[in-house]
Amino acid sequence: MRLLRYDHDYSRRHFMKSLARGVAGAGVLMPLWDAIAQSGDASKAYPDELLSIEGYTRGRLKNGDLITAANVDLVRDLLEPIKYQQIKTMGRRLKLAPTTGDITRLSPWEYLEATLRNRGKAQFDGNGNIVVDGGKPWIGGNPFPDAKTGIEIFASITLSWGRHDAAFYAIKEYDLGVEGDVRYNYDAGWAEMSPVARVCMEPMPYWPAHEDKLRFQSIFFASPDSAKGTSFLNVWPYDQHSFPDLYGYVPAFKRIRQFPTDQRFEPLIPGSTLYLSDAWTAGDPLYTWGNYQIIGRGPALAAISGGWNADHPNWEHKTHGGPKGKTFWDTTVELVPEAILVSAEPTGFKRAPVSKKHVWFDARTMLPIAMVTFDRRGDPYHSFDGAYALYESGEHRFMDGRHPYWSWAHVHAFDIQTGRMTRLEQVKSITGGHATAVNDPAIYDRYLTNAALMHLGNG
Amino acid sequence: MKSIKRNPKRFLGKQDLVKSGLLAAIAVFASAAQAQDDGNSWWDNVDFSLGGFIRPEVAVSTSSDDNPANQRGNTFNERSIARQAYVPPALIGTITQDVLGIPLPDTNTWTTLPVPTLLASDANSPGVRGIDSSTNTGSPIRGVDNKFNYQILRGELELGVHLNSDLTLISRLRAIYDPGWYDDFNAHSLDGVQGGISGGIPSLYQGSPDYFDYRVEGDKHPNPLEWTGKNYQVYFPALFLEYNHGPLNVRIGNQQIAWGQAIFFRVLDIVDGLDLRRHSLLDYAQEEFSDKRVPALGLRIGYQLNDDILADAYVQKFQPTVLGNPNTQYNIIPVAFTVHDMYHEGGYENKLNYGLRLKGSYGQWGFQAVAAERYNPDGVYRWTQSGVNKDLPDTPGSLGNLVNTTMALRGKTSGEVLAGTPFEASPGGVYSAQEWFNYAAQVRLDGINGLNASIDEFPDSQAIYASHVDNYQQAVNELNTFFIAAGGSLRGHIARDYYREQVYGLGASYVTDGAPGSILDQLIINLEASYTPNKKFTSTTLSQKPITDNSVITALVLEKYYRFSESFPATYFVLQYMYRNVDDLFGRSLKGYGGTEEKIPDGVHGANYVVFAFQQPFPNDVYRVGFATLYDPRGSILVQPGLKWKPSGAWTVEGFYSYINGKLGGVNPNNTLLSTIDFADEATIRVTYQF
Repeated sequence: MRLLRYDHDYSRRHFMKSLARGVAGAGVLMPLWDAIAQSGDASKAYPDELLSIEGYTRGRLKNGDLITAANVDLVRDLLEPIKYQQIKTMGRRLKLAPTTGDITRLSPWEYLEATLRNRGKAQFDGNGNIVVDGGKPWIGGNPFPDAKTGIEIFASITLSWGRHDAAFYAIKEYDLGVEGDVRYNYDAGWAEMSPVARVCMEPMPYWPAHEDKLRFQSIFFASPDSAKGTSFLNVWPYDQHSFPDLYGYVPAFKRIRQFPTDQRFEPLIPGSTLYLSDAWTAGDPLYTWGNYQIIGRGPALAAISGGWNADHPNWEHKTHGGPKGKTFWDTTVELVPEAILVSAEPTGFKRAPVSKKHVWFDARTMLPIAMVTFDRRGDPYHSFDGAYALYESGEHRFMDGRHPYWSWAHVHAFDIQTGRMTRLEQVKSITGGHATAVNDPAIYDRYLTNAALMHLGNG
Repeated sequence: MKSIKRNPKRFLGKQDLVKSGLLAAIAVFASAAQAQDDGNSWWDNVDFSLGGFIRPEVAVSTSSDDNPANQRGNTFNERSIARQAYVPPALIGTITQDVLGIPLPDTNTWTTLPVPTLLASDANSPGVRGIDSSTNTGSPIRGVDNKFNYQILRGELELGVHLNSDLTLISRLRAIYDPGWYDDFNAHSLDGVQGGISGGIPSLYQGSPDYFDYRVEGDKHPNPLEWTGKNYQVYFPALFLEYNHGPLNVRIGNQQIAWGQAIFFRVLDIVDGLDLRRHSLLDYAQEEFSDKRVPALGLRIGYQLNDDILADAYVQKFQPTVLGNPNTQYNIIPVAFTVHDMYHEGGYENKLNYGLRLKGSYGQWGFQAVAAERYNPDGVYRWTQSGVNKDLPDTPGSLGNLVNTTMALRGKTSGEVLAGTPFEASPGGVYSAQEWFNYAAQVRLDGINGLNASIDEFPDSQAIYASHVDNYQQAVNELNTFFIAAGGSLRGHIARDYYREQVYGLGASYVTDGAPGSILDQLIINLEASYTPNKKFTSTTLSQKPITDNSVITALVLEKYYRFSESFPATYFVLQYMYRNVDDLFGRSLKGYGGTEEKIPDGVHGANYVVFAFQQPFPNDVYRVGFATLYDPRGSILVQPGLKWKPSGAWTVEGFYSYINGKLGGVNPNNTLLSTIDFADEATIRVTYQF
C-alpha cells in the first residue's frame, strides 16, 4: 500500500480554489510548466492521487481494467456527461492504461521544444491576434502553454490544430444510424499546413509572402462514388476576426467554385454528424466565438495515448458497443491529472444550431480531450471525443521526420438527440493511394491549392 | 469503393477483368508488368480503386403531347390539309430553254394558274401525312401519346490506378441501356408509300429509332472510346493519364473540362459540347451538365502559379455537340429533315480546339479570364443536295407523271434532278404548305426565304420548275404543288458544318460581408461575360451563307446560403440572370424568332433568362429538397421541384418533376425559348445502388 503525501481531497480543494480565483495556472503542487521545464515530466506538479487510476479510485480500478456500465459510477466525475451515458446505457467500454508522465509522448517533439523555447513571448495585439516582437505572427509551439484564461487556451488550439507544420490525414469515416448499423462510410483526406509558426519545415518560422495567413486546410472525399471528388479548400487569414476563404469542387459541376465561408454548421456529406466547426474543437476563427470562460478544473479520463493500432496494416481500429457492436471505437484511456473545462458561445453565427460548447483540455498539453455542444434550448446536442497517440508501438513506428509521429488516432462525434454516431479514424492510406503524411512540403501542392482540388476531383 | 494494393497477379484475375470490363486497365497492367524487374516490388506502390453505381431511370409523361419533332408527335398527323397545285411560272421557260435553247419568259407567278384536274387528277388533293396522294394508298401516320418518355438502365464504373505519387490512370466507364419500350415510329411502315424513305444514314432514317448511335456522313464512329448500338451506349467519359507534381498537373487522354462559376448558364463553360442523347437537358437541373459534356481526347495542363492564381490550358480534338437521333424521345430537329453531319467529310474530325484560362482569387474577390480558339460544337445547318435519285411518282394522270413527261422531253429524269436539290420525294416529310410554315416557325426558320434559298442556291431546283417567290401565297402554292407532285411529301436535306471561332471571356466574383446571418452577409456575386466576334449561326433560310454576328453573353449570379432555423441546415439559393445579344440559350439566332404558320419571323433583339433555384438539405443531409426554374420573360418557363433521399451509403432515391409551359399568357410560342420542349412535362424517378 502506498502512502499518499496529500489527502484525497487535497487536489479537489485546490481545483475549486483555482476555479474560484478565476485566473490560475495549471499544476497542483507546483506550476505545471515549471515542472515540465525542469524534467520534461509533469508528475512533480501533481499529487499521487492524480497520477494513477488506482490512486484516484483507491484501488477499486487499476490499469488494464475495463470501465463498463457496472463500474462507471466509480469514475463518473472523470467523464464528460455524454461519454458517461454512452458507457452506462449504450455498452461503451473504456480500457484503462497508466498515466503518461513523459510530456514528449503527448505532443510532436518539435512543437514541444518550440513551446519551451518560446514560452512567455506571445501576446495579443490590439486586434486580439497572437503576435511576437510587437506585431509579427507567432513563431511556433504553444503560445500559452500555461494559459490562465479560456481565450488563451482557445487561441492556442485555433492557432495550431495538429501541431505539425503540415499534415495529411488519411481518414475513414463511418456514419451509424440509431439502429447501430454503418449506413454511410467514406474515405476522406484532411490536409492542413501552416505558413507561420513553423517549427521543423523550412522555411521557418514563416513561409515568406504568406505571413498574412494562418493555415491552408482542405478536406476531400475519395470514396464512395457518389462523394468521390467532393472537396473543400479553406484558406485562413491570420486575423482571427475573418472567416477563411472557401473554395469547393463539386463533382457534378466539374469545376471549382467559391463558397460562402460562414457555413460552419452544415453537413458536408449525407449521414455525417460532423461540422467544419467541430475540427479540433476549434474549427472556426477565434473571434467568431466569444465568452470564453474556464468553468471547471479537475482530473479526467481521456484517450491521450495508445490510440494507434499498429497491428492492423492500415492502422484500422476495432469497435464494440451499441446495438450491433459497431458504435464505439475500442478506446484506451488514462487518468489526466488536470483537465480544464472551457465554455464558449458562438457570436458570429446567427441561427447556429449550437448555443455553446464545453471543451475539456489536458492542462499539460492544452490539447482538447472532449467536447460537448448544446442546442439553442441548452440541451446537450453533440459530443466529440478523440484519441491521440504517439505512433510508436513495440517495433512499429511511423516517423514524422526525426521523431515518431504524434497525432490523433480516432474520433467519435455523437448526436445525443438523434442517436446518430459518426466515427473517424486516421489510417495509413485510403482509396486512391492517399497516404497519411506529415511535414512534407508536397502536401501543399498535392492537397491545398485550386489545382489540387481539380486533381482530386478528376475534373 | 474498394481500394486494393497487392500483387497484380492475384488482383488481375480473369474474373476481375471480366467484372470491370475496363479494357484500358489491361494496357496499363501489361505495360507495367513489363516494366517491373523484381516481381512484386514495383506493384507494391500501385493502388487500385474501383467504384461505381447502377441506376434505373424512368420518366413518366404527364402531358398529352408527344414530341412534335418526331413522326408520331407531328401536330399535322391525321389531319387533311387542302392543297392546290399551280402551274410553275418557269415551266415553259425551262422547257424551251432545254428543248429549243431559247428561254421564254415566266408565265406570271405561282398564284396565276391553278393546275386543272384534267391535266393532273391529284392537282387539288389534300395532304394527309402517310398517304400517297398520287395513288391514294398508304395509311395515315397515327399520333401517339407515350406514357413513358424515358426508360434506361445506367451503370458506371470508375477505376483509378495510382501508379505512384505523381502518376494516376483515371478511367470512368459509363454504360446505358434503353429497352425501347415506347410506342415509336418505324420508317418501314412507310416502305410501301412513295417508295419509302430513301435518303440519309439508313440506321437513323430508314428503320426504328436508333437511341444511341452517333453517326456522321462517312464515319460510323466519330466519338472515340464510344461503342453504341440502337439500344445501348458504352463509353469513357474519362480515360486519362494524370501527372501531378508540385504545382503542375497534366492530363492526357479522353476528358471533360468545365470552366466558369455560373451553373447551367454556359458563359465561360466553352470547352466541351453537350451530349443531348439520353435525357437531353431534362435531367435534374441541380446536377447541371454532369453527364452531358462530350469528352474529347486532349491534353490539359494546370499550373498553380502561386497561392492565388491558377493557369489552365488545354488542347483537344474537336468533338461536336451530339443531338438526339430522329424519332427518339427528345429529338429537337423535325424528322422531315434528313441531316448530313459533315464532321468527317468536312475534315472537322481532325481539327483541334485550344484555350487558356487564368483563375485568380484575392480574399473576397475572384477573377477569371479565358481565351479559346475552337470550332463551335453546336454546328451550323444549311440546305444540301439530297443525293436521292428517285423519280416523282409516275402514276398515270398524276402531277408527278406530268412533270416526269416534261423532264423526259428535256432528256432528263426527275430523280436525277431532284438528287441535286435539297429534297427527296419520300414519305414522312412535309405534306402541306401549312405544315411547312408551322414547322419552320417552330425551329426558328423563315418559311418563305428558306424556300427561296433552296431554289436560288440550287440550279437543279430551278431545273425542276421551282422558282423564287415574292410572298407568302406564292410560297404556299409552290410548296403545295411540289408536295402533290412528289406524291404526298418532300423530305428536306440539310448539312451540318462547323466554324472556327475565338471566344474571350472575363469573370469576377465577390463575397460580401454583412451583419452575421443577414441577407447581405456572405452573398456571392458573380459576373461573367464572353465575347465571340463573327460567330456563325444557322441562317434562318438555311442558306449556304450562315448568319455572322458578334456574340455577347453575360450572366450575373447571386448565391446565398441562409439559415431559416436553428434545426435545419442552411438553404442554398441561387438567382441567375443571363443576357445574350444574338442567340438563344440553345444557340439559335434570334433572327428566327417570332414566326407563325402565317407569318415569317421578324426576329427579336436580345434574349434574357432568369434562373432561380434552391436546395434545402435536412439534418444530416439524408433528405434534400431541390427546386429550379428557368424563366424566359418572352413567355415560357421550366419549373422543376425534386427530392433526393439517401437512406444509406449504398442507396439513393431521387424524384423530380419537370413542368414546362412554352406559351405563358398565350404568347406566340415561337417567340420564346422553351416552347421547343413544351411537350416534355414529366416525372422522373431514379434509384441508385452504388458499390
